[in-house]
Amino acid sequence: MLKINNLTATVNEGAMTILNGLSLDIPAGEVHAIMGPNGAGKSTLSYVLTGRDGYDVTGGSVEYMGKNLLDMEPEERAAAGLFLSFQYPLEIPGVPTMTFLRTAVNAQLKARGAEELSAPEFLKKARKIAADLKIKPDMLKRPLNVGFSGGEKKRMEIFQMMMLEPKFIVMDETDSGLDVDAMRIVADGVNALRSPDRGMLVITHYQRLLDYIVPDKVHVLVAGRIAESGDADLAKKLEAEGYDAYAA
Amino acid sequence: MPTQPNLTEAETRLGGALPHRRVEAWKWTDVRNSVKETASGLVSACEPVFELPSDLSVNRAVNTAKDHAMGTLAHNFSGESYLIDVPAGYQSIDVVRLSGLSAGHARIFIKLGKSAELTVIEDHRSDEAGFVNIEVNYDLGEGASLTRTMTHRDHAQSTRIVTSQINAWASAKVIQHALSFGGGLSRLETNVAALGEGLNAQIHGAYLLNDQRHTDMTSYIDLGAPDGVIRQTVKGVVTDKARGVFQGKFHVRRPAQHTDAEMRHDALMLSDTSEIRAKPELEIYADDVECAHGNTLGALDESALFYMRQRGIPLKEARALLTEAFVAEVFDDLAEDRRDDFMTDIRTWLEANS
Ligand SMILES: Nc1ncnc2c1ncn2[C@@H]1O[C@H](COP(=O)(O)OP(=O)(O)O)[C@@H](O)[C@H]1O
Ligand SMILES: [Mg+2]
Repeated sequence: MLKINNLTATVNEGAMTILNGLSLDIPAGEVHAIMGPNGAGKSTLSYVLTGRDGYDVTGGSVEYMGKNLLDMEPEERAAAGLFLSFQYPLEIPGVPTMTFLRTAVNAQLKARGAEELSAPEFLKKARKIAADLKIKPDMLKRPLNVGFSGGEKKRMEIFQMMMLEPKFIVMDETDSGLDVDAMRIVADGVNALRSPDRGMLVITHYQRLLDYIVPDKVHVLVAGRIAESGDADLAKKLEAEGYDAYAA
Repeated sequence: MPTQPNLTEAETRLGGALPHRRVEAWKWTDVRNSVKETASGLVSACEPVFELPSDLSVNRAVNTAKDHAMGTLAHNFSGESYLIDVPAGYQSIDVVRLSGLSAGHARIFIKLGKSAELTVIEDHRSDEAGFVNIEVNYDLGEGASLTRTMTHRDHAQSTRIVTSQINAWASAKVIQHALSFGGGLSRLETNVAALGEGLNAQIHGAYLLNDQRHTDMTSYIDLGAPDGVIRQTVKGVVTDKARGVFQGKFHVRRPAQHTDAEMRHDALMLSDTSEIRAKPELEIYADDVECAHGNTLGALDESALFYMRQRGIPLKEARALLTEAFVAEVFDDLAEDRRDDFMTDIRTWLEANS
């Protein structure tokens, strides 16, 4: 579903190479985890995949559902079902959460040539998902993420994800800032989205999230490339031993 | 001392000098340079159109000239002034609508008696190039309350100067919201004088300008009595080669103790070639007051735009949504139907210019 081949990418107008020959293949239906030390390039990978300005691909390729992902604008990638749960979700001052999300949902439907959701349909769906995620209805009226706590922002990412029903999900340290209860709620949401035609890439610094979202494969990202791959047990080993063994 | 240049042909026809960039208060809005002698309305009277509640009427009268350049011109070329006398205690669900201000000079006097309440909706608009010079005077009796909105959109080659003087006696209230889409050169100037204690003045505005349009929102709040509460929020959005000007001054005289005044001007520049000129000023002689002012200038937040695009919102729409949110704040507490009208105009502008 997502095939990353020998990808290199720079930041700072090419002054720093962050991704350095990264290859990864995630078939539909699978959940892969990426773990790695701070500064390894995990968030950079998430931004390169979603097309953020300032992250320049200098080599390699990314194929997403048979298309050249790197040719597409960020909003085209989103409409094609690619979703990123941000490590640091942005605040959108003055735009109520519901307005924002309705605009996003309908923009994606429109881009796919589908009919837009009516206001009542949208509201009904939003209420149900908010209740599942224990998000207070009051929060949905406030400008998106403005004044929200770290944990609330992360929960709001999952709320958006469940509303948008993406095909391929990248989660960048969604667990940071969440207590155990919140993590369980978030994991239930994510697990509910697991399906044979959906792929997921779960980026995390700690193993604990992977107790709740059990991955099919675990990759270790160090210095911009995959240093080792294995099954879910690899996460436990990393938790015990750290990343020192991969030091360059 | 700079020598005064010879009168331009337009000024010769007018019989006197127009404000120009070497006059401090007009340094960013050079009327002399923008007015051609052929401009329609240059030396003729404007005929405003009034829609009034049935129990109010418009009279004509000769009034003395104002002691500023545009006031003198308005006096010389407008013919008799228009006068509306609103009796003490007046209340109405109907509003006063003022339109037809598309070319020429006019002087309008609206006088609110004690505790009178009035809503005035002013439409400053032209579809053809021309020269417009409007003087609007409000006199607010004790405890009177004026709710005023102004919408402004001119032809790209027009020049418009609107000078408002609002004199407020004790406990008067004025809530003003102005929305400008600019013109060739335009200035909406609002001067408020607190003649009695306890003035409550909210002088808000927004301008959204494209092409080479120019709007100048200048205000001067002269506080000569205690216990005034002043709020001012002006937001600007400029793109292409447009130019926005904000000049705001709170003048807190010695008797104006316990004045509580806040001024904000925030502008968004959507292009590298657009311009903002801002001069917020506080001049304070009273010692027991709370006065603050702020002025910011910025661009749309690139990270927020990326976040929105990642959710599938196309760039143009994301820009429009963020800009709308930025401007909308000015009109938060406007009556709903007027707010809806303003927001519709703003969205139309954003669709064309984001
Ligand atoms: N926009 C940027 N400008 C400059 N340096 C950056 C930028 N983004 C990331 N980096 C640098 O790239 C490296 C990898 O960062 P990141 O991808 O955030 O790591 P991780 O998510 O694995 O902790 C770090 O050294 C970081 O400082
Ligand atoms: Mg990171």
